[in-house]
Amino acid sequence: MTDDAYPGLDVDDPWQAVEACFAQGWTDGLPVVPPTAALVERMLAGGPWPADAVLLHEPVRDRAVTAWHAAINTVMAGCRPEYFPVVGAALLAIGDPAFTLHGPATSTGGAALMVIVNGPVREAIGLHGGGNLFGPGVRANATIGRALRLVLLNGLGCHPGVLDQSTQGWAGKYSLCFAEHEAASPWEPLHVSRGLRATQSAVTVFAAESGHNVLVHAASEPETLLVGFADAMAGLASLSPGRSVIVLAPEHAQHLARAGWSRARTQRWLYEHARRPLADLKRAGKVEAQFLLGPEMRGWLYARAPGGAATAPSGPDAHARVLPGDEAVAVHRGLSPDDILICAGGGAAGGHSAFFPSWSRGRSVPFITREVPA
Amino acid sequence: MTRILDPTLRAVPPRTAARAPRPSRLSGATLGLLANGKTHGMVFLERVAEHLRGRHGIADLLRVTKANASAPVPPEDAALLVKRCAAVVTAIGD
Repeated sequence: MTDDAYPGLDVDDPWQAVEACFAQGWTDGLPVVPPTAALVERMLAGGPWPADAVLLHEPVRDRAVTAWHAAINTVMAGCRPEYFPVVGAALLAIGDPAFTLHGPATSTGGAALMVIVNGPVREAIGLHGGGNLFGPGVRANATIGRALRLVLLNGLGCHPGVLDQSTQGWAGKYSLCFAEHEAASPWEPLHVSRGLRATQSAVTVFAAESGHNVLVHAASEPETLLVGFADAMAGLASLSPGRSVIVLAPEHAQHLARAGWSRARTQRWLYEHARRPLADLKRAGKVEAQFLLGPEMRGWLYARAPGGAATAPSGPDAHARVLPGDEAVAVHRGLSPDDILICAGGGAAGGHSAFFPSWSRGRSVPFITREVPA
Repeated sequence: MTRILDPTLRAVPPRTAARAPRPSRLSGATLGLLANGKTHGMVFLERVAEHLRGRHGIADLLRVTKANASAPVPPEDAALLVKRCAAVVTAIGD
């Protein structure tokens, strides 16, 4: 096909091309690589999918993004063709019906799409999991997450202030893609814990609120080290029945490894300790009247109450009034230890880990892990 | 001259669905209320229904609340609304 067979715009020079993309509303606010047919064909050839393969179908608005359209946006994001298998796998993951993408893509909560990458592809494409892994400096990290954002913008129409109704959003919405620092993990790689083989590559996606730095420098025993993590997780600002991602700094990971703590034991400890009395939630306006009417939120709030959710009170102000016994009802973050995903990442020095809460005040969306094609 | 490709789906024809015939009157009809599943969707729809009921003589209401606000209407719920209702009002309420 000749170039002019494709829908697009004709421009005279590279700068005009960059400006034309801004003028069309095709960017995230940063300049994009102007997508010519030759570049898009090279991008597509970097992955195993035919041009018309649907990589993302969003069922609420019935939008289907093909590999061709994904490749256009991936060129624009600044990716190299060898990144395309990771972008494609991430699109397939966020398109999993269980992920219900319409919510995190449009909600006032302003979720970022987190992509954690495991396996050999990390080294092959230079995806970074060491120092400053969430920050600037590495092309694969900066552009793979950006490709997802551009697909949401251009493919699904998630324009800020229009379909994307984020109250504030956050910087992770530009790009939030990083490698697990597998060598720094005390345990098997994240994707292996989720059923894949170490020799496979994989993406794990999550709809994330902005991360919290968990700064602990003077603790080495797990029961001391993890207090700060559990406290961040139990913060009223983000407390919900949703899931959590913990990215362990290598220094923190070493303390857990030395003490012989398993991933499951760490998850259990965090789940048990990331909790607040129901009375605190009520005092902070975190319990809405409607929560007491639906089984999901009522079940979460009263899971540890004597008698369980069936004993939840009713009445016009039962959600807001602190009742006798509310101090003793513990409300945990999430529904079980399995809701806490732990991986390793960061530089060798520093007691700085991260906690990312799920988007939304409800249950939110699950973690989805998917193989990256070799 | 260089062509840069359109990254949107504007050139992709949307899958079309026939619009439902508009009922000429609602008197004696069943009205569907489809709440999208956010916290206060049905609270809002109940007020809407109150107004419509008085104004149009609606006989009955069929209430459906989606279990997940981010997911499409389950096909069985959509089929029930089509079967029972002359018109459906849907809303988000948060």
